[in-house]
Amino acid sequence: METIITYNAVHHNPWGTPITIYFWLVGASAGSFVLSAFGWVFGIKRYKPLALTASILAIVMLMIVPVLLIWDLGKPFRFIYLMLPGYWHGTAPMSWGTLLILSYPLSMFVYTYFVIKNNQKWAKITGIIAIVLALSTHWYTGVVMELNPGRYLNHTPLAPLLFLTGAFISGIGLMILVLWIQNQFTRPEKRIKWELMEEMAQYMMYGIVFDFFLLFLDFMQTQYGTASEYLAHGTVLMEIFFTPYIWLEIVIGLLIPLILLVTPLKRTRIGVYGAAFLVAVGVYGMRVWWVMGGQYIQSFY
Amino acid sequence: MTTESKQKSPAHALREYGSQTPGTKGIPGKRRYSMVIDLRKCIGCMSCVVACKAEYGVPLGVWRTWVMVADKGRYPDSRRIFMPRLCNHCDYPICVRNCPTQATFKHEEGFVLQRYNRCIGCRTCVIACPYNARHFLPAKRTNNNLPVLVVDKCTFCIHRVKKGLVPACVQACVGGARIFGDVNDPKSEVARLVAREKLTVLKPELGTSPSVYYIGGDWEIMDEPHNYKHRTAQQKEEFNTYKRNHHGDAFGDIVEGENTMYHVGKNMSDFLASIPHKFFDVVAALKKLLFA
Repeated sequence: METIITYNAVHHNPWGTPITIYFWLVGASAGSFVLSAFGWVFGIKRYKPLALTASILAIVMLMIVPVLLIWDLGKPFRFIYLMLPGYWHGTAPMSWGTLLILSYPLSMFVYTYFVIKNNQKWAKITGIIAIVLALSTHWYTGVVMELNPGRYLNHTPLAPLLFLTGAFISGIGLMILVLWIQNQFTRPEKRIKWELMEEMAQYMMYGIVFDFFLLFLDFMQTQYGTASEYLAHGTVLMEIFFTPYIWLEIVIGLLIPLILLVTPLKRTRIGVYGAAFLVAVGVYGMRVWWVMGGQYIQSFY
Repeated sequence: MTTESKQKSPAHALREYGSQTPGTKGIPGKRRYSMVIDLRKCIGCMSCVVACKAEYGVPLGVWRTWVMVADKGRYPDSRRIFMPRLCNHCDYPICVRNCPTQATFKHEEGFVLQRYNRCIGCRTCVIACPYNARHFLPAKRTNNNLPVLVVDKCTFCIHRVKKGLVPACVQACVGGARIFGDVNDPKSEVARLVAREKLTVLKPELGTSPSVYYIGGDWEIMDEPHNYKHRTAQQKEEFNTYKRNHHGDAFGDIVEGENTMYHVGKNMSDFLASIPHKFFDVVAALKKLLFA
């Protein structure tokens, strides 16, 4: 006998677009910062010329985050509670995130100061701290929705990896575009070399391949998982969130850039800049289906 | 966790973390309030929903309790079944452990409660709750003294229970389907039912250990994927209408069958539109604080 639901209360999805933009911004910020650290922390000298631009880009993107997060609260001016000892709650992922979102920009400011001062020793020390915080901040964005066992689409340990990989590629993509713009306004001897752009695009390509692998793992999990997971993929992602999932993330964000970066086009400016732009835009699709798609089915339960 | 509760509680009681007192289920001398809903007696009159709305002035479009309705089978072998829903007052509530400001907490007598003065309206608990038992209060309410823009939920009517009354929904239930009481008191009706009847709970696989038990629960109406897949066309339309006309804050509502990215953009414009009233809410609060 089949049971047809004739009445049920429906519910809102509590988190929306501001959260998706926040996830994208934090990711791109962390990705840019990794590039900045290449020169000063990991000792790859050819990356030093872009370190300052990368740090500033990471800081600027992170400056927008509090505006989104605070005004998304029902009581914006109570955001201070997140930092007060009597209110702080150690078991809540959002509490960890608050500490990270506060400390990450601070560490970046200090690191950038030493980069400007050309102090290798302290830039390296503060850079190590900042890179750990950068990765942790973006790890947290994956975790904050993962640790809700009732949200079947989000409840996977792959979440932080998916976010970090997306961060890495979108950060590089955005960085390539910013460096291209920067090159238009600087003297020829100060410009970032084309070979470096090509190298960054290669890193981006490795990231895209790894992202595809993670998406495949996630796909397998949903196909062989519980009824809820299966439904989350088959109905929510493949029907309702088809545009952000298939078109924006997979086709625009991963597939076309991958084709551009494995063919001879990778040696051309259109190939590298095109791939960088598409990746930076496409990763936003993942943030949309992850946040809004994850909440979708339960809004009818 | 106390040694006593460690001895009495099952192994998964170790999941007690966050701002909650240790579970008191099964510990002699401690109260542990629970609700049993006998679905064989529910007639779907919605008295419980109305009583709850009246008791708390619950705004339109959100619910502390509601009744699901389903049609089982095909004519002539069909029947209508009902399933009241409310906060499950879990022993191991995900909402409590995920709340970043300790606004929600577990009372040792079994109530999961919300402190409006601590709530920042981040809606993390709404995301965390697998039972949709939490809702976000709208910016405008008919009574200005009632809270706005914070999360609210069922309290098991603690204010009534402390005065020796039963919750409003239990009081109003015409079929006597809702039974409330101290499950640790062997003489209570709830304890007798829990000991004697075959009971089911919602989403037992999540390990939340709900305190709302159902007698005669139908697995299909209790199953989340089944609910979503087997809706009537009218329900689908109602779902879409609700999502389209929320007139509220920045909810991540997407309308089925319409352009997803359009609704992503619309959601952002709703967010921007919500900023002024949040700002004026703050100004009003400051005025009250400084000049009242």
